[in-house]
Amino acid sequence: MNISIIGAATTKFGELWGISPRTLAKQAVEGALADAKIDSADIQALFVGNMLSGMLGGQEHLGAFFAEELVLHVPAFKVEGACASGALALHNAVNSVLSGQYETVAVLGVEKMTDHKPEDVARALMGAGSEAERLSGATFPGLYALLARVHMEKFGTKEEEMAAVAVKNHYHASLNPNAQFRTELTVEKIMRSSKIADPLKLLDCSPISDGASAVIISKRRSGKPIRIAASSVATDTLGLAERKSLLELQATQVAAKVAYERAGVTAGDIQVAEVHDCFTIAEILAMEDLGFYEKGKAAFAIANGETTLGTNKKTVVNPSGGLKGCGHPVGATGIKQVVELVEQLRGTAKKRQVDGARVGLAQNVGGSGATAVVHILTSQ
Amino acid sequence: MIGMGGKIISWTIVRVPPAYFAAQAPYPVALVELESGVRICAQVVDYGEDQLRIGQHVVTTLRKTIESAPEGVIPYGIKVKPI
Repeated sequence: MNISIIGAATTKFGELWGISPRTLAKQAVEGALADAKIDSADIQALFVGNMLSGMLGGQEHLGAFFAEELVLHVPAFKVEGACASGALALHNAVNSVLSGQYETVAVLGVEKMTDHKPEDVARALMGAGSEAERLSGATFPGLYALLARVHMEKFGTKEEEMAAVAVKNHYHASLNPNAQFRTELTVEKIMRSSKIADPLKLLDCSPISDGASAVIISKRRSGKPIRIAASSVATDTLGLAERKSLLELQATQVAAKVAYERAGVTAGDIQVAEVHDCFTIAEILAMEDLGFYEKGKAAFAIANGETTLGTNKKTVVNPSGGLKGCGHPVGATGIKQVVELVEQLRGTAKKRQVDGARVGLAQNVGGSGATAVVHILTSQ
Repeated sequence: MIGMGGKIISWTIVRVPPAYFAAQAPYPVALVELESGVRICAQVVDYGEDQLRIGQHVVTTLRKTIESAPEGVIPYGIKVKPI
């Protein structure tokens, strides 16, 4: 596969009450075009990743909406897969270039969530799960709490080890000017934060955020291209009750297996990874399901600093701050992960730079694991 | 679906409820494996604190699920209670 990311940009993530999704999208796409050193006239299609604009904003038809807003008179598509919408949009963009129908395509991930009451956002997010889960009032923290409890029971994973994930990601976020949270956390602060869905506490949970990120992909090489070595998707049951196992996200395992094969690499070859830490337990599951650690072994390793920015680390994880530290505007996250990897592989990640980053992996999950998307990128 | 036995395989207490569930919060939600092998996701009702545990035996029952509009249909659904 000979497709590269030739431009990448992201807006700040956070509570951006004064900034509309139109402005966020323009900032991200214009930033990516400038980074690619190409004109908007070179874009032949637009893919948009977003989950909530219909339910929260009454606006569907986002392909046409943003094509108009960005003055791109091209074929345009919205792609939705809950929190995996961004990476799914990129996967579809990759396929559209592979098909030969387009040569240069823009991918935008955008979400505006903070203008609504938290209980309305919580309800909208439950659209990512099953109807039975909605009828039982199982919020997303609730669903991941169910996963955390069995992981703790089976492997002895401790709440303090889960908290260590958030400590790491806030440290990384403190080095990221675009991150929602710039202050560091301690395990103690997290343990004292109020319970949202036992055993998950407020500071185990990624925030509600606004933001947009964009990449330009092309068969042409322009600017400082980063090669897409693999783009794979896997699905599993919508609800937790129908899963074969609650100790893992099989969708991540399957998507990762295909991606590693396509790219011709293993977990051991990855210097930098952006994984889906919607809740602290999710990063622990990701590190196991992606093959970085054996089942039950990731929590201790993360708490021990093995994946924190610093010297002599095999793989640094979530240098952007992850979803927890950088923020989680749902549709934008999958693209932001890729933007972070692009900066890392180019060597332009400044204070967050992972030394010697040559191969990067991004994992984006939809719902409680019903969709997983894995991208592997390499520097040329 | 009512009166079926099972056991809790995981549980949580939702303390920050979504829209329409405010009156019930905090409430426990569990994944329950029924004797038939089928698993369901359901709220736990009529429980003592010490009964929220993995392995607790429960039975399915019919309860109101969310608050309805003043003239609307009252929605009922499956919940579980410890036995």
